[in-house]
Amino acid sequence: MELVRLSMLGGLLGLDGTAVGQFMISRPLVAGWLAGWLAGVPELGATIGAILELYLLVSFPTGGARFPEGSTAAVVAVAVATPFGGPGAVALAVAMGLVWGQVGGWSVTVQRRVNGRLVQRLLEMGSSSGGLIRLHLVTILIDFLRGAVITSVGIGVGRFALGLVEAGWPLSKEFSVGALYIGAAVSLGILLHDLGGVRRRRVLFAAGLALGIVGARFL
Amino acid sequence: MRAGMLFRSLLIQGAWNYGTMLGPGFALTLLPVLRRVHAEDPAALASSIERHAEHFNAHPYLASVALGAVARMESDGADNETVRRFKTALRGPLGGLGDTLVWATWLPLVAVGALVLYWFGVPGWVATLTFVVVYNVGHLGLRAWGLRLGLEAGRDVGTRLTEADLGGWARRLQHLLVLGLGVLSGTILGAPDGLGSFGPVVAGLAVVGFVAGLVGGHRAWRPAAAVMVVVIALIGAWGILS
Repeated sequence: MELVRLSMLGGLLGLDGTAVGQFMISRPLVAGWLAGWLAGVPELGATIGAILELYLLVSFPTGGARFPEGSTAAVVAVAVATPFGGPGAVALAVAMGLVWGQVGGWSVTVQRRVNGRLVQRLLEMGSSSGGLIRLHLVTILIDFLRGAVITSVGIGVGRFALGLVEAGWPLSKEFSVGALYIGAAVSLGILLHDLGGVRRRRVLFAAGLALGIVGARFL
Repeated sequence: MRAGMLFRSLLIQGAWNYGTMLGPGFALTLLPVLRRVHAEDPAALASSIERHAEHFNAHPYLASVALGAVARMESDGADNETVRRFKTALRGPLGGLGDTLVWATWLPLVAVGALVLYWFGVPGWVATLTFVVVYNVGHLGLRAWGLRLGLEAGRDVGTRLTEADLGGWARRLQHLLVLGLGVLSGTILGAPDGLGSFGPVVAGLAVVGFVAGLVGGHRAWRPAAAVMVVVIALIGAWGILS
């Protein structure tokens, strides 16, 4: 039952990524918390969602670009980590989420090609308002099923893989999560690169850095 | 009519594809207007649906500007070729402005803000809810504003869009984003259980990663993520073998 609920969530959040609304509830931060809430571990969900959000801060659903699907990554990662309480569970689940986010991104590309064929068929058959509405209902339904299937397969594969390696994880939980920030730091650097680098707004960045360090120490 | 169009515009990417991109969603959103304009002529309705389902691309939120303007032009009886040329002229600026303002600025700004809250110890649900509410105030506000602007200005929407100075808004918000990025980096580095607490090696590696991203830009993302996944897999394998 839990698998069904999480797969449905993966389907719904997959829709938010492109096809319906783009309210950004498909961002890893939100998707992670929602998946955690559904699985009864909201704080674990928030932790995994926040780490994945750091990694995917520079991944946006722009036009025809192929991007890792953050919602699939987060829901799969949270669902995979939930049954395992060992020190490596979060790190392994985040890694699984990053891999499965790429699979989700690839499935979005396939979905868009299928949409293209359906649109072509509509145009060949002669457009009508009923046909246009049916086209959208069909493409949205396919997108929902795509998200749900990709999520459920990811959860199955991830839980199997974690079952093999999690018990022998040699590092502490704190160190394992801390090490994940090394990769996340790359995303922060890329975001600053996109904004023109440090040189352009170095005073602002330095002021923020100092504020963050002081705030984290004393608040 | 306006509320109906706004609601339908949420589905503007419902049939997104590499050929016609937003085209089918554009036609779907415009459908109430087209039905009213061509109420007496089903053949003209079918033809107008086909024209609007052709290739169109823009940022999905700012497409509402084009939707409003085209709805006004169709209601005023503008000829097909004028409407087609108008859409072609508008799609580039709406795409560029939207990508800069929303994807490259507003989304990361609100996400960074929510992450700062989270790393400052605010409960996960509060950080998440803050992100969703603040982001969507901007998101839905932009869609509604764009639709109203388009409906009011019609074919003169270009001038009104220039006056709105969305590029200037993006630049101002980017100052705030850089500050937020600094705060987030400092928080992750300085928190009691943050990067600084794992010793100089881990903190140093994170600085190397940050610089790699800063220098390499988006080219650095996939290799960095792949390295993290491989390292985690190797540690897992090492744990089993030992």
